[in-house]
Amino acid sequence: MTPSAIIRPARPNLRGALTYDERAALLFLAPLAIVLLAVAVFPILYSFYISLFSLRLTRPGRMPFVGLDNYLTVLSDPHFWQAVERTTYFSVLSVAAIVVLALLIALLLNEEFSGRRVLGALLLVPWAIPYVANALMWKWIYDSNYGALNGLLYQLDFINSYMVWLGDSAKTLPLIANAFVWKEVPLAAILLLVGLKTIPPDLHAAAKVDGANTVRRFFHITLPQLSTAFALVVVYETMMAIRHFDLFFILTEGGPGDASNVVAWRIYVETFRNLSFGTGSAMAYVLALATLALAYVIIRALARRI
Amino acid sequence: MTSKSKLSRRSFLATVGAISAAAVVGRSGRALAGEPINFATWSAAVDTVESHIAAFEAKTGIKVNYSNSPWAQYRETMITKFIGKAPIDTLWVSDSWLPEWAEAGWILPVDQYKALVDNSDVEQFCVDSMTYKGKQYGITYYTDYMAFIYNADMLAKAGIAAPPTSWAEVVEQSRIIKDKGLTQWPVLISMAQESWLIEFMTALVYSNGGRFVDDKGNAVMQDPAHGAGTALRWLVDAVQKHKILSPSCVETGELAVLKAFSSGEHAFGLIPKYRLRTLNDPAQSKLAGNAKIALMPKGENGSNATVGWMRFYGMTPRAQADAQRAADTVKLMEWFGGKADGEYKFQKMLFKDVGSGFGQKSLFNDPEIRSAYASYGDVNLIGQQQSLARKKDVVTPWFGEWNDVNGTAWQQAIMGKVSVEQALNTSAAKWTELKKQS
Repeated sequence: MTPSAIIRPARPNLRGALTYDERAALLFLAPLAIVLLAVAVFPILYSFYISLFSLRLTRPGRMPFVGLDNYLTVLSDPHFWQAVERTTYFSVLSVAAIVVLALLIALLLNEEFSGRRVLGALLLVPWAIPYVANALMWKWIYDSNYGALNGLLYQLDFINSYMVWLGDSAKTLPLIANAFVWKEVPLAAILLLVGLKTIPPDLHAAAKVDGANTVRRFFHITLPQLSTAFALVVVYETMMAIRHFDLFFILTEGGPGDASNVVAWRIYVETFRNLSFGTGSAMAYVLALATLALAYVIIRALARRI
Repeated sequence: MTSKSKLSRRSFLATVGAISAAAVVGRSGRALAGEPINFATWSAAVDTVESHIAAFEAKTGIKVNYSNSPWAQYRETMITKFIGKAPIDTLWVSDSWLPEWAEAGWILPVDQYKALVDNSDVEQFCVDSMTYKGKQYGITYYTDYMAFIYNADMLAKAGIAAPPTSWAEVVEQSRIIKDKGLTQWPVLISMAQESWLIEFMTALVYSNGGRFVDDKGNAVMQDPAHGAGTALRWLVDAVQKHKILSPSCVETGELAVLKAFSSGEHAFGLIPKYRLRTLNDPAQSKLAGNAKIALMPKGENGSNATVGWMRFYGMTPRAQADAQRAADTVKLMEWFGGKADGEYKFQKMLFKDVGSGFGQKSLFNDPEIRSAYASYGDVNLIGQQQSLARKKDVVTPWFGEWNDVNGTAWQQAIMGKVSVEQALNTSAAKWTELKKQS
């Protein structure tokens, strides 16, 4: 048999496998991919790598590998679970308030009335304020010595003397939740409003013909049709609430006592104050995985109703 | 045609190469020593610092690279720089960070530089605060202490002739003031979770004759006789029993205390001494002219002691790695922390700029200083209280981590969530655990 008769397998040819347009698309996406790898993917992977070591910045040169010990330390710490409890309370309270208020605002903005656009623009103001500015504003409002809240209530004769707000551990989390809700409601309202706009008006018209009143149409048409928007709002706001940090940093720094010592605050203290990057990273990963799991559960639960 | 001397390509390249080689060799020969001294601080009195640097450069010919970062992030910023091996030669250091930074090797002792360790004129607590494991780590930048300040106008209206000399008298006078309707909360003390908290606590503990740890570094805060119990009990009773201190103290930070006290609505406050100038400044305070300092009230078994804190100029391994560089850095440190042209220039400039204190005892006799102090305070009393200041006994490599737990425990006791004993037992347990791990 001559050498030319030997059949060799074809070499893979990328130029041949991809069309010109596909190659061009990859080329244009490459810079973005590189940036994302550098600023997103690499830090995520590297922080997981760090979480497997005992790394304290104040002990340079000593970085023993400890495997999953950091995770076990975090999960066996009773203070961590107390922080989980506070985080859960804060998140449930916030998300429930956001959903209810956003729905009411969306229903209002879905109606035609004079000044609707102006009202809509005004309602967006909290959303436009940066998180830190929002926190500083509420810090001034809540201040027990010279805050606007005490001033207003005192002037209106609702109170006889200035009250303690953030310094009262029973009120701390609800007050922080209030500041969080104020900031988040506009976005949630917009998402629900978009959902309302997509409901075919024929459904309401047909229901009216069948004799359904406003309340029955709301519960049997509007709410079911808003399932997707609800899912989006609940998932997004839950994730935001669970990992929220700014308000806790500005308003209370985890206090008074440990009344607002939530998981996000503990991660900050462990990583950036105690400079224990190993356990801090482990705690952050536990939070991330818990958030991911919760998002999955919520989406599955709400998807069944869609 | 006139003949021109042509510069051939070969001779041009040879000349450039020779010049470059000379520059590199010459540079590397004084690589570190010839570069400017890198001086890092937090963002305080920036203009004053810059002007003093300019004077140093003009006098010595030594260039200085000056950088500053916000105080709130300074520790984390500097640690990041240390880890990243950023070029730093000398920097401001807080006494609270000394053990942590010394153990990590980020700053080194300066005992071998005689100009920096002449402490004959320095307050003892300042020397103690710069010393770790028997070695001195710097020269003083500034110092201050927690003062007991009272509202003379309010006391006069209440018919009280003299400020209290004991914590029991503080309660008695507060009740009189409150009963006369002059204010709802006569006492103002910051108990918010921030870096100041340990200073407020320690002032109360020391003046009540207690300590957090003993001379061997073992926790005694929980000891009923010699610990922090008396101080914490006083605070808890002030809030819950006597109602002379607002429960909002746990959310009120040091700056908020300053603003609240300057409103003239309170009678007594624990406030850093350097704030006395602001409190008596008509442009910044309604209390101007009436904010007076008194010696720290004593507890039953206590004294007029208070807590003093200080910041100093530290020196890095980078600076000490080269003899010339070390010499230049020492000159800069001495120019700022010691004498410049034979006098404590920077200390006086800083005092005039922001009213901050100084660790040099002789400055209390300086006519300019005395005159400035006299415009808003009793200079003899200010000096007397400073002589009774002591350094914090909890400054260790694990201080930061313990401080969070201790602060939380004190706040919980003040809010009535736990007893005084439970709070101090929690604090002591954490201290012991961290000490064992270290």
